[in-house]
Amino acid sequence: MAVLHFGYNMEISYEEPASRCYFTIKCIPKEDARQHLLGMDISILPESGYSFGEDSFGNRQVYGCVEEPHNKFIFQISGDVKIIQTDYEEEECENRTGMYRFPYGKCIPGQGILNYYSLLDFTGCNNSLDICMYIMDKLYKDFSYVPESTHVQTTAEEAWNLGKGVCQDYAHIYITLLRLAGIPARYVCGFIVGEGASHAWTEVLYNGKWTGFDPANNCLVLDNYIKSGDGRDATDCAINRGTMWGGGRQSQKISVIVEKNS
Amino acid sequence: MKQPDLLKHTDQVNEQMARYGVKFGIYKNNVFKEQLFPFDAIPRVIEHNEFGILEKGLKQRVLALNLFLKDIYSKKQIVKDGIVPEDFIFASSGYMAECEGVVPAKGIYSHISGIDLVKGKDGTWYILEDNLRVPSGASYPMIARELCRRSSPETFRDNRLEDNRNYAGLLRWTMDYVNTGGHTVILTPGRYNAAYFEHSYLAEKTGAHLVTGSELKVENDRLYYISADGSMEQVGAVYRRISDEYLDPMNFNPESLIGIPHIYDVFRKGNVALLNAPGNGVADDKGIYYFVPKMVKYYLGEEAVLNNAPTYLPFYKEDMAYVLEHFDSLVLKDVAEAGGYGVVFGSSMSKEQKKDFIRLLEKEPRRFIAQEVIDFEDLDIMDNGEIVPRKADLRAFVLMADEPVVWKSGLTRFSRNPDSFIVNSSQGGGFKDTWVLYQ
Repeated sequence: MAVLHFGYNMEISYEEPASRCYFTIKCIPKEDARQHLLGMDISILPESGYSFGEDSFGNRQVYGCVEEPHNKFIFQISGDVKIIQTDYEEEECENRTGMYRFPYGKCIPGQGILNYYSLLDFTGCNNSLDICMYIMDKLYKDFSYVPESTHVQTTAEEAWNLGKGVCQDYAHIYITLLRLAGIPARYVCGFIVGEGASHAWTEVLYNGKWTGFDPANNCLVLDNYIKSGDGRDATDCAINRGTMWGGGRQSQKISVIVEKNS
Repeated sequence: MKQPDLLKHTDQVNEQMARYGVKFGIYKNNVFKEQLFPFDAIPRVIEHNEFGILEKGLKQRVLALNLFLKDIYSKKQIVKDGIVPEDFIFASSGYMAECEGVVPAKGIYSHISGIDLVKGKDGTWYILEDNLRVPSGASYPMIARELCRRSSPETFRDNRLEDNRNYAGLLRWTMDYVNTGGHTVILTPGRYNAAYFEHSYLAEKTGAHLVTGSELKVENDRLYYISADGSMEQVGAVYRRISDEYLDPMNFNPESLIGIPHIYDVFRKGNVALLNAPGNGVADDKGIYYFVPKMVKYYLGEEAVLNNAPTYLPFYKEDMAYVLEHFDSLVLKDVAEAGGYGVVFGSSMSKEQKKDFIRLLEKEPRRFIAQEVIDFEDLDIMDNGEIVPRKADLRAFVLMADEPVVWKSGLTRFSRNPDSFIVNSSQGGGFKDTWVLYQ
């Protein structure tokens, strides 16, 4: 158990003024048996009306519309989260696990991943958790972490064929392999202690409980991780989604802090 | 049937339809073309008793499909009970995880259902497919009847047929029943949509506003119509003629320019009704079709009144064996395709094509269904002054409010090509009025 303080700042700059912009932001820590939000502050600039909601994966979202011409859109959130337990049960999860067992979206295996999967050797694995550990370890050795080598739209298969990627790609490839092995797995987005950006990892359903695996770091997910959202792939829980009128080219600056409260 | 007078007026009716813009738009090689939807004046006639059976079977089917959708996006009891394998849900392109846990107003998913049927030579009706997303076509028999009445009023005085002018009223009743407070609008992608004539015609007949996405706006979790003077008025029901994918760039396809940002969030909070509800594609793909009679039994505890065409699922081993053995006598359909595309007859394939197809079938068995070729009844049509037989089907419309109602008419489509079974308007077919007789 731990209490973590977090802050997430996003600043989007437009080359030309945008006359209108719709936004949906999913970065309020998920409320479940794993973690509990103790309090938070949100600020949005330019000031605009916004609503809270929850998507079908249970991710909390803030959405609204900026209707005045603006060159910058700034979203900030900070708060404290209590991490209650790392393996946890989820209400209603039984009705939805199917969606985490079939290939979907960015996690559809192509020839590259299928060939890799066929080379895996599960001897010595006694249960699903052993298989998860084994694949994570293997993937960590066979795939390289190279910042900025891929982009948000890169699929698992594309990243695999490239041989390198970032945490999102590790999670996508890992999920694709686990689903091939018949293990329900989902994509998780969130924040971890000591990293300046958002992070992505994987949760696996085993014996009715979700357990987190971080394939980019080859380790289990402990109480230094805050979940912001989850889904079948990165698109389902993307932190920021927007539609704007005008604006031209845009650039994004994101900073994240997570600290353990003592 | 007394109708010779009506036939004399065929050309006149077709000319008027052209003038009214009764057209069907199609895209061919990325070029938009509008073509007339040829009308044949010889009606399809359905006897009172025969229609009674159709009515019973269609109501039952639509009730079961609605219960199925409600179940699939919540508890999935039918999957847990082993009636429908989960592959046909989660691996279906029509399944939308975004609809999990979202219950539409009054629990209705398919408000307007277009069920396609054919009549076999032995007189038995078979269901060909269910259309629960944005089925179109009701406007064609509506306007045809309207123009025919004008050209030949005697025909409608001398024959004992049900009046079909109540469709607009039924549609209005369906929309009002789920309206959450505010205006009712019909949302069209615009002038260049294949069914634009229908959108504008239904708006005129129901008194709903015809709008495009740019005239609707979400604010404070409510949907508003922006009127010409810039004022905003709340909308409580949207009969949307836009597919799920393009409905909301913030929740579905981000590239959509015809949708309304955040409309799905308003729907999720119960502040607007969408007809039909998003996510219905999971219940009307060709794979799930196989299970509909089982759904009727499962949810209603009744035997299905109307039969499916005999269908095999290569997904099941026994069915695969049957399909391979009887390949030449079957028609094979790709479950993800619609509009008459992705349909091949085993008998029409060359040896090479057959080999390739079987390889694909064995690799992706869930992707296909196989059906016996039904020898369906020919209907007479007028072709250059001559009466000739052609294949035809029937799209029946079932509207759902507190109970399902079957419209006592329907769209009869026929193939103009004497050798073809494919009647889809997107493939150049024509249409007829459908007369339902009263006793």
